Amino acid sequence: MSSILEYFSGLFKGIKSLLIGMSVTWKELWTKKVTQQYPENRDTLVISDRFRAELTMPHDENNEHACTACGICQMNCPNGTINVLSATIETEDGKKKKILDTYTWDLGMCTFCNLCVITCPSDAIKFENTFENAVFTRSKLVQQLNHEGSKLRVKPPKSTESVTKSTECITKEAQNK
Amino acid sequence: MILNYSQPLEFTNLITWLDTALRSSMSEFWVLLIEFVLVAVGLLAAYSVIAMILIYAERKITAFFQARFGPNRVGKYGIWQSVADVIKILLKEIIHINRSDRFLFFAAPFFMIIASMLTFGAIPFGKFLHAVDFNIGVLYVTAVSSLGIIGVLLAGWSSNNKYSMIGAMRSGAQFVSYELSAGFALMTIVVLAGTMQFSEMIEGQRYCWNLFNGHISSMIAFVIYLISGHAETNRGPFDLPEAESELTAGYHTEYSGKQFGFFYLAEYLNMFIIASIATTVFLGGWMPIQIHGLETFNQIMWYIPSYVWFFAKTGVLIFLSLWVRWSFPRLRIDQLLNLEWKYLLPINLVNIVVMVIIVLTGLTLTDLFPGLF
Amino acid sequence: MAEQIIFYILAAIIAIFSILAVTSKQIIRSATYLLFVLIGTAGLYLLLGYHYLFAVQIAVYAGGVMVLFIFAILLTNRPGENAKTERKDRRIVAGITSLAGLAFCGHIIYWNISKVYTFVVPAEMKVQDIGHTLMGTGKYEYLLPFEFISILLLASIVGAIMIARKR
Repeated sequence: MSSILEYFSGLFKGIKSLLIGMSVTWKELWTKKVTQQYPENRDTLVISDRFRAELTMPHDENNEHACTACGICQMNCPNGTINVLSATIETEDGKKKKILDTYTWDLGMCTFCNLCVITCPSDAIKFENTFENAVFTRSKLVQQLNHEGSKLRVKPPKSTESVTKSTECITKEAQNK
Repeated sequence: MILNYSQPLEFTNLITWLDTALRSSMSEFWVLLIEFVLVAVGLLAAYSVIAMILIYAERKITAFFQARFGPNRVGKYGIWQSVADVIKILLKEIIHINRSDRFLFFAAPFFMIIASMLTFGAIPFGKFLHAVDFNIGVLYVTAVSSLGIIGVLLAGWSSNNKYSMIGAMRSGAQFVSYELSAGFALMTIVVLAGTMQFSEMIEGQRYCWNLFNGHISSMIAFVIYLISGHAETNRGPFDLPEAESELTAGYHTEYSGKQFGFFYLAEYLNMFIIASIATTVFLGGWMPIQIHGLETFNQIMWYIPSYVWFFAKTGVLIFLSLWVRWSFPRLRIDQLLNLEWKYLLPINLVNIVVMVIIVLTGLTLTDLFPGLF
Repeated sequence: MAEQIIFYILAAIIAIFSILAVTSKQIIRSATYLLFVLIGTAGLYLLLGYHYLFAVQIAVYAGGVMVLFIFAILLTNRPGENAKTERKDRRIVAGITSLAGLAFCGHIIYWNISKVYTFVVPAEMKVQDIGHTLMGTGKYEYLLPFEFISILLLASIVGAIMIARKR
């Protein structure tokens, strides 16, 4: 007797749960569509700031960047995407100094792991969310990040100290790895 | 007959005009030959056009259920999408499989398409739009639709691929099981209607659809028919013969190009065929809604062409099938067979007896309220 | 004329596929050829206007028996791998025997058919009549055979369950 009861109660419970499921999908039918129609909505498109699409080296209005050509990003890059070429110049007071010559980054090799940005001691590079990077030839993927004729930004003495500290710290970390 | 005039949108006049024109100029044999060919061409054209419309509608409705837009690039609202797909599939290469049974491999899609074509021909689309009207209409439909399963089994076998094979076996078990339920549900209504002929069945539902005429029993039969019909077409929650996560594509994994197109077409048309048979048997077919006593209302209803009524009712059922498809998760094979053999079939058998009692004791709506229905 | 053409086509289909079904080495192909034969027979019924018999032939043979055959073949391990041809002398003897049988039966049918056959008026048979005949108890009515068949089917179902349960 109880098994018969079970059979019918199971049947009706099943039908009830099916109807609940169908009512859920019925509501879903009338919800607003979530599709982003990309080429048409370029003006209103919102891409998250954290989206990593293109490595850039921010330059200020005097065409100055923060890269000291230390090469840590190059060392940390797992794919060998970054190539930092430095030049040695002599400053006015006779010291020899390494400055950045060309900073090239190969988009085609990059896995957007963000290690270069994390390890950069002077916050000279960062990832932008400009994602329309398609080009017709592979060679165009290799980009030079420092602008023509740009030079190192002279830091106010206070912050230099802290920057050097953190640089040492991170360099050690990198070496430990 | 109240209305033998002024139905300008029906095909009746066109067909009679064509028939008399042909008969006046040539002998009986040639008239029949030309008419047969015309009917066949018309059916084939309708078959492919309906399939294309269905594919478009399915993709659109599916998208709406998932809060997407669906195809909207080819033409306005993407209406030419399925045309483009058809052209693509016709141009694709047919890939030959090594060490497969070539003859059976090529024959299998034809079984599918022929079975669904034979069933398609028996559907009354509208007044006078009815190619095959046997007096055993319901039996004919259930009989010829069972040919398709042989195509599935042969396709699975001849592909020389274990996924295809498993898919075919599952499909076979599923189809054989659920065909039983579908047949019994239709037989319940045959008991009520007292005929197997589709045209008589539609005529009998002029004032009261079979769905309401046999009230409780009819409703149960209707639900069972929809479930088992849905399962027969290998769609929705019952699509485990082609469960893509386990079997890639089931029995048509190895097919490409036109052959795959045949399977695809047959699948969509089977959905339409199930819906249209349900319409004809339960929902009054192409008959417009008619109410006793309201002559002007009936008149107005007749101005809407019969095929519009038919396609509207069928469309509602197809939408229901899509709704079910996107609501429920896929069944396991044991759940599938449990549903059939432990629930649908026993309920069905009891239901037939109940229907016989209802008919014999005069408890149908037409018997209870003769003036109303 | 049209009916004759259709008849000859159907007859050719039945004859050719019967021979193929027997001579084919792969059993699954034999089953398919047999299916064509059965469908051809159904076509003959359709040509004669026996729609009920046509539908039953398709439903029972194509939908039921053939699916069962194919299922059974698919479940066997590598069907048709060890198929051997018979010895040559035996083949000749078998061929002669079957031809003799064909000639004998053909002779009897050919010479006696005109004495017994009656022309059937090609009218559509009502399903209601078939139903009443199947369920009636009078002369030329078949309730008893019908019930015998149902008992036979019940027995085979019980037997199948007994074999399947294995306890």
